[in-house]
Amino acid sequence: MTSDNGVPKGKSPFSQLLRVEGKLAIRAPYGLGLGIIFPTVLLVVFGLVGSVVPGNVADTGFTILELYIPIILVIGFFGVAITALPIPLVRDRESGWLRRISTTPVGPSRVLAAQLVLNLIFALLGIVIVLLGSAVFFGSTLNVGIYFVFTTILALAEIFSLGLVIAAIAPSQTAQNAISGVLFFAMLFLSGLWYPAAEASGPLQTIMYYSPGGAAVNAMLASVFGTAPSLTSVVIMVVYAVIFAAVAIRYFRWE
Amino acid sequence: MSNPEASGSSDDSHARSESAVTVQHLVKRYGDFVAVNDVSFSIGEGEIFGIIGPNGAGKTTTVECISGLRTPDSGSISVYGLSPQKDRGKMREFVGVQLQETALPPRLKVGEAVNLFSSFYPHPLNTDELLESLGIKQIEDSIYRKLSGGQKQRLSIALALVGRPKVAILDELTTGLDPEARRETWDLIEGIRRRGATVILVTHFMDEAERLCDRLALINHGAVVVLDTPEAIAAMAGGTRVRFAPSRQVDDKTLLAIPGVTQVERKERYVTVIGDGDLALSVMSYLASIGVSVSELEARKGSLDDAFVELTKDGRSKASGGAPQ
Repeated sequence: MTSDNGVPKGKSPFSQLLRVEGKLAIRAPYGLGLGIIFPTVLLVVFGLVGSVVPGNVADTGFTILELYIPIILVIGFFGVAITALPIPLVRDRESGWLRRISTTPVGPSRVLAAQLVLNLIFALLGIVIVLLGSAVFFGSTLNVGIYFVFTTILALAEIFSLGLVIAAIAPSQTAQNAISGVLFFAMLFLSGLWYPAAEASGPLQTIMYYSPGGAAVNAMLASVFGTAPSLTSVVIMVVYAVIFAAVAIRYFRWE
Repeated sequence: MSNPEASGSSDDSHARSESAVTVQHLVKRYGDFVAVNDVSFSIGEGEIFGIIGPNGAGKTTTVECISGLRTPDSGSISVYGLSPQKDRGKMREFVGVQLQETALPPRLKVGEAVNLFSSFYPHPLNTDELLESLGIKQIEDSIYRKLSGGQKQRLSIALALVGRPKVAILDELTTGLDPEARRETWDLIEGIRRRGATVILVTHFMDEAERLCDRLALINHGAVVVLDTPEAIAAMAGGTRVRFAPSRQVDDKTLLAIPGVTQVERKERYVTVIGDGDLALSVMSYLASIGVSVSELEARKGSLDDAFVELTKDGRSKASGGAPQ
């Protein structure tokens, strides 16, 4: 570990920090579990369901898996952003570690940046695994083009900002656990894991479409079939992203 | 490592003209509570400056203002000409801080933490040698959560020193360490001084202050009560102390009537009289004359401990039994 004689030359403080935070994220693998393993399990489950129930669900021309891919992806984003991201930030704030870092030339904002980078990597790996897995093992034919990239970036911006809101307002690790847990299950539901928004009706459908997860699923669903997302869903995501980011910036504390 | 300078012979030579840290009229409030009320001192380059005082006296707040963690309500602080608040970025490169009650991420390994911090600074110490000198080299692969209190404390010291600081601010340095580890840590602090660094040491151990510090600021209720060398402060305790266990109760009035006795303190079954002259003899013979025998007699000069107790007595009547801690 100290083979380079204790002076890691040529490595920037940030890359060192990223490496250390990466090791910590593997030792307490919330990001791996919720961002990669959970979506992979959902992929296998819906892939198997889709191969038992023949394709062309309700004359849409798509398999069950294909219709569920955006939901699986968005759920992975939520897992990473509202659980794996705030856990170390709230813990390190509560323990005084961020304060300790703030007395070094590096400063605690780099810890936040490292966590964002790291968890974005988990989210992106999740996307790659789900898309590749669905194509290779379950024969999905999805359109990963400009619409997909656009809606994914918006969804990530919106959902990661929500994660930062939790990191900002949770007063303790206990509170953060509770907030993340409740919010995660609410988002699983509103994103349509049990009951896709398209099959819901009345006020429930409206709530789902206007929820952070529902709007993201709605936009991504259009995009994976090569069509432009609805303006409404795009606007909803942008508004959420702006509000969440503003709240997070306003209330985030280092100590 | 050995101690090259017997602290007993230290003088004012460390209060050099070159001032590393200057604090002037520092005031810090938390709501209505005035934590620090008009504190001023100046620390010379290469000096080990101690800040002592009872719990809640404002010691930690003072050093947190110096390290830039808190912003004073008024007054000014200069660290090598820089303001901890305005020039925080520049200052962080040469000020090493050890904070009270800071935990590391639970799964971070000792070696990883020290190497990470060494990457933050332009001219860090050799981390292997640092871990070796603190006796934690053999646990560099242990995660923080599994460390003992003393190991955590040593790691915290390592993180404060790895950047080769010009000013090291150490808050409750040896709390939680066993006696041997405390002595090793003291050697380490003297090693920092030999490198020319300035050390600000917050402590509530009088032996530590006496052994390490060139000068001490005794802070109570947010104000500097006295600022001098440990020897000069100890001398303020003055007089002789005679402690004994009387065979029956003797009231303060009786004791104060004995020639030479100026103060009486009580703790459990022990009575301590403080005063001048041949105190032990006069007290013993007087008590014998009224039929009180004494046991466990102990006579000594005033120490830094005594001075501390006296100077922080909070205006309680000197003759009343303020239990020394």
